[in-house]
Amino acid sequence: MLDSAIATFGLTKFYGRNRGIEELSICVERGEVFGFLGPNGAGKSTTIRALMGLQRPTRGQATVLGFDTWSESVEVHRRVGYLPGELILFDRMTGRQHVEWFARARCLDVASELVGLVDRLEVVLDRPVSQLSKGNRQKLGIVLATMHRPDLLVLDEPSAGLDPLMQQTFHELLREVAAEGRTVFLSSHELDEVQRVADRVAIVRDGRLVVTDSVDHLRANAPQTIELDFRGPVDPRQFEAIPGVQRVHSDDTRITLEFSGAVAPLLRLVAELDPVGLVARKADLDELFLQYYRSQESANAP
Amino acid sequence: MRLEVVRLELLARRRSTLGYAVGMGLYTFVIVALYPSFQHDTSLDKITKSAPTLSALFGAIGSLTSPTGWLNANIYENFFPLMMLLLAIGYGASSIAGRDEEGTLALLATLPIARARLVAQKVLSLVVQGLALASIVAVMVIVGRSFHLALPVGHVVEASLATLLLGLDLGLLTMAVGARTGSRGTALGVGSAIAAASYLVSSLAPVVAWVRPARFASLFYWSIGNGQLSTGLTLTDAAVLVLVALAAGVVSIRMFAHMDLH
Repeated sequence: MLDSAIATFGLTKFYGRNRGIEELSICVERGEVFGFLGPNGAGKSTTIRALMGLQRPTRGQATVLGFDTWSESVEVHRRVGYLPGELILFDRMTGRQHVEWFARARCLDVASELVGLVDRLEVVLDRPVSQLSKGNRQKLGIVLATMHRPDLLVLDEPSAGLDPLMQQTFHELLREVAAEGRTVFLSSHELDEVQRVADRVAIVRDGRLVVTDSVDHLRANAPQTIELDFRGPVDPRQFEAIPGVQRVHSDDTRITLEFSGAVAPLLRLVAELDPVGLVARKADLDELFLQYYRSQESANAP
Repeated sequence: MRLEVVRLELLARRRSTLGYAVGMGLYTFVIVALYPSFQHDTSLDKITKSAPTLSALFGAIGSLTSPTGWLNANIYENFFPLMMLLLAIGYGASSIAGRDEEGTLALLATLPIARARLVAQKVLSLVVQGLALASIVAVMVIVGRSFHLALPVGHVVEASLATLLLGLDLGLLTMAVGARTGSRGTALGVGSAIAAASYLVSSLAPVVAWVRPARFASLFYWSIGNGQLSTGLTLTDAAVLVLVALAAGVVSIRMFAHMDLH
């Protein structure tokens, strides 16, 4: 485990009586892109602050690149690049002043590679940060997080404010980082982004880990979404009795099902109802994510 | 890492530091230049004699027309420490708690620098800012020798240094409260309240008998409230001020070491 990029054991953080995260145990291997998913308030930023040594865990332990995140935080910071979820820079300083100051603070030369990164992300360097759009600030934040070629990148909602083209460039950058054997820990509530770049994901909800798995495995086990079109209205309740049907949504002549398991009983019923159209597709991570949430909610229901 | 945090802090506060220094320098020069017009005005001394308690509240005790009386009543016992405390308490509250509230502290705290060194660099930044203010006042008062304000240079330097130490004490106490609570507002409130209480006790101690025993608890008393401008800073005065600054600095470091950042 000490060889992992990130390892947490029962990581717990309470703010007074309020739970930030509880009993969170995850392991991120070196060289992978790891997606950390959850809605706002799920505990993603709390976890990241604990990993970055910004907050002391109430219980449990976290190591990053083999170093304890609290007692050996300087060693962690030397090897990790961090992009906060709500990036606040020094308003009166220009982008160039930021880059130069952070380079000096990390004892770096402003190398040609950095110039290439600035060009590639089209970072605006000569205006005060207060005059930059959110996207341009975010690009500057990405440069500051990556400029020292860290072994691990910890990115909290990194695509916020980036336009689609720049998101694409950023995702290419992440893949290159992983190809070099470096690790990316990517927190997001943008499922689309995570399934495009991550090898594995963890899903958190209400401060607790719901599942950790590879994106491919999650997809393979994901339910199918089946859309059926009929000539007239159809009673949706008859589908609920079919084994494997998880959700039924009715919209006049269209029935949408989420389904997993043996397909024969469903097909027999569908054939009797004489549909005019049928579309079946594997659920994407988005639907899977919602499914995990619903199952947690129903598990927690009184 | 060297002193990059000091550079950053001074860069961020260069305008306010310059404003404090230029404003205080001009004010001091005007007071100094006005002295020849008032040095023989005995009516001024009647004010302190007829209403000693009220005068003490404004930092005026004894003769106002003597060089030390004039400088104490107009600079060293009120306006100068007030400006120094505005600067120091303001910085003490904003440097940790304020930076955390605005969200920039995490950027610094995730650099490869120990938290203790980060605080130490912020303390050094406060020293530099306070030194700029104290230096300009000392220089202007020494210039005042040309305006009949003949005071020993050593006493002027020591009183200015004592005011700087007063600012450091209260600035660092404020910083410690900010690191403990994470609240800039709370830190400002506590720092200002200690400063106000300290000023009142030191000002009233010479004229209100029941306040007098409490003067030893006032940081003003140890810096400029015990005639330091006329007699110079004693070793005890300096030791108290330096020890309080060291203690407040250590507490700030310890509090920051346990602080949850955003």
